[in-house]
Amino acid sequence: MSFTDATLNADDYSYTLDSYKSLFTNPGFIQMLFVTGTFVFFSITLQMLFGFLIALIIDQGEKRNLRGTVFTRTAVLTAWAIPGVIIGIIWQMLYNETDAGIINYLLSLVGIGPIPFLSNPTSALIAVIFSNVWRGTAFSMILIYAGLKTLPADVLESAKIDGANAMQRGMKVILPMLTPMLLINLVIISIDTFNTFDMVMALTGGGPGQSTEVISLSIYNSIFNQFNLGQGAATSVVLLTINVVMTIVYILILGRGEKDAA
Amino acid sequence: MQHKQTMLKIGLYSSYVFVTLLFLFPLLWVLSLSFKTSQELYNVPPNLFPESLQFDNYKHVIENNNILSFLLNSLQIVSLTVILTLIIVLPAAFALSRYKFKLKGTLLLGIILTQMISAVVISIPLYRLFAEWGLLNNFFMMVIVYVAVVLPFSTWFLKGYFDTIPIELDEAATVDGCNKFQILTRILLPSSMPGIVSVTLLIAVQSWSQFVIPFILLDIQSSYPVSVGIVNLQSTQQAITTHYLAAGSVISILPVIVLFVLLQRFIVGALTTGAVKG
Repeated sequence: MSFTDATLNADDYSYTLDSYKSLFTNPGFIQMLFVTGTFVFFSITLQMLFGFLIALIIDQGEKRNLRGTVFTRTAVLTAWAIPGVIIGIIWQMLYNETDAGIINYLLSLVGIGPIPFLSNPTSALIAVIFSNVWRGTAFSMILIYAGLKTLPADVLESAKIDGANAMQRGMKVILPMLTPMLLINLVIISIDTFNTFDMVMALTGGGPGQSTEVISLSIYNSIFNQFNLGQGAATSVVLLTINVVMTIVYILILGRGEKDAA
Repeated sequence: MQHKQTMLKIGLYSSYVFVTLLFLFPLLWVLSLSFKTSQELYNVPPNLFPESLQFDNYKHVIENNNILSFLLNSLQIVSLTVILTLIIVLPAAFALSRYKFKLKGTLLLGIILTQMISAVVISIPLYRLFAEWGLLNNFFMMVIVYVAVVLPFSTWFLKGYFDTIPIELDEAATVDGCNKFQILTRILLPSSMPGIVSVTLLIAVQSWSQFVIPFILLDIQSSYPVSVGIVNLQSTQQAITTHYLAAGSVISILPVIVLFVLLQRFIVGALTTGAVKG
């Protein structure tokens, strides 16, 4: 279908390469790839980082029998259970640029702002990334937390006896043992982030201009707003290619993991 | 040493407070907005606690925006999806966990492959197909698509959980005269309850969040689930009606949050017993 000029509202179509030609020569396409790249890169980096930190403080707290660990864990996980479109709507209310916007009010208390969150291209992209990290951190957190829980205690114990300090234990013992888990986590959230669009759609709709139009949203917009099926399908093929490449990476990691276990 | 431990504890506690606030505040704020009057939305400084609780906002969205019927649609879709998926996935995971057969590895990879493809990518061919076959707005066929979407990860998750249950149990049961079906129903199912509860919860959360599929396959407003319904609400409401939108959002996420908070320990438990191996 990506080789046709089909539209949603006309029945007949012919075969053509025009969809690809116009897609690849369209300056918007390069910009869309750039926006997608920025969105995916920062989303996954921050999700992994925050996920790791939160998993670590909860795990450390549990080892010391602190109170509030389950509550904190549940609070983070709750964000994950909310539908993407509703997360978009909620953050749109928080980023509101009138007096009703709570984030700008909080920032004004510490002397920053007001920031035109959703009407300036750069800050809109940052806002979208931040909300996406808020939503996605839970997944990385729970996987890494499970990884930390299943670390063999005796290895940690013997490293301690051998005189490794907390920093060394973290870098040389815990991190290498978590690596397979972290890699899997990385690939899964990369794929998820490439495929994300419902939250962005509700939050900015891709705007202002096309400054937050990530690839999945671009497909959605070309099909359902511009009714350009050929263009949407061509973009879908690009996304599909990305998905397949990521999956191959995933399978390679998985295969290596199984060999290690055997 | 004692001093260092105390400092560490204070550090941990303050990070808990920070993290909890970061994740709960947006939800509390929406809850607060949903009880405010339209003038109160623009109060400077903003107040977290509304001056009075405007239950009328809820009454308004329920009476004018069909929120309850969206909610009911979502509940129907989700429960049917969960039941159908479990019927397929329990025996499938049993077979993948307990039998050895040719191409099993390939089959497992094939299953995970389908998981990686974006729903938006599938949406175009799916729409064409359904339109051609006259299946648009067909509730049951749409649920079948939901099942297809959640099947891959459910199979993997449950297979992983079954793997953690010692095969010796099966062998003992065989000696005692159980057939394969009885092994599944009498041995594996009861001992996998935490895994089954978590997979049920994951399916429920994922189908509750699903947006693209109902959006492309349904165009009768009265059959929308909440995810599509609330987007419609968003695009028809003006800035002044933020409090109504907030009330609608609260109603739409309340059921899934309650369910999730009550049952999340099963997910955590299932993950930490090693159901998902790196």
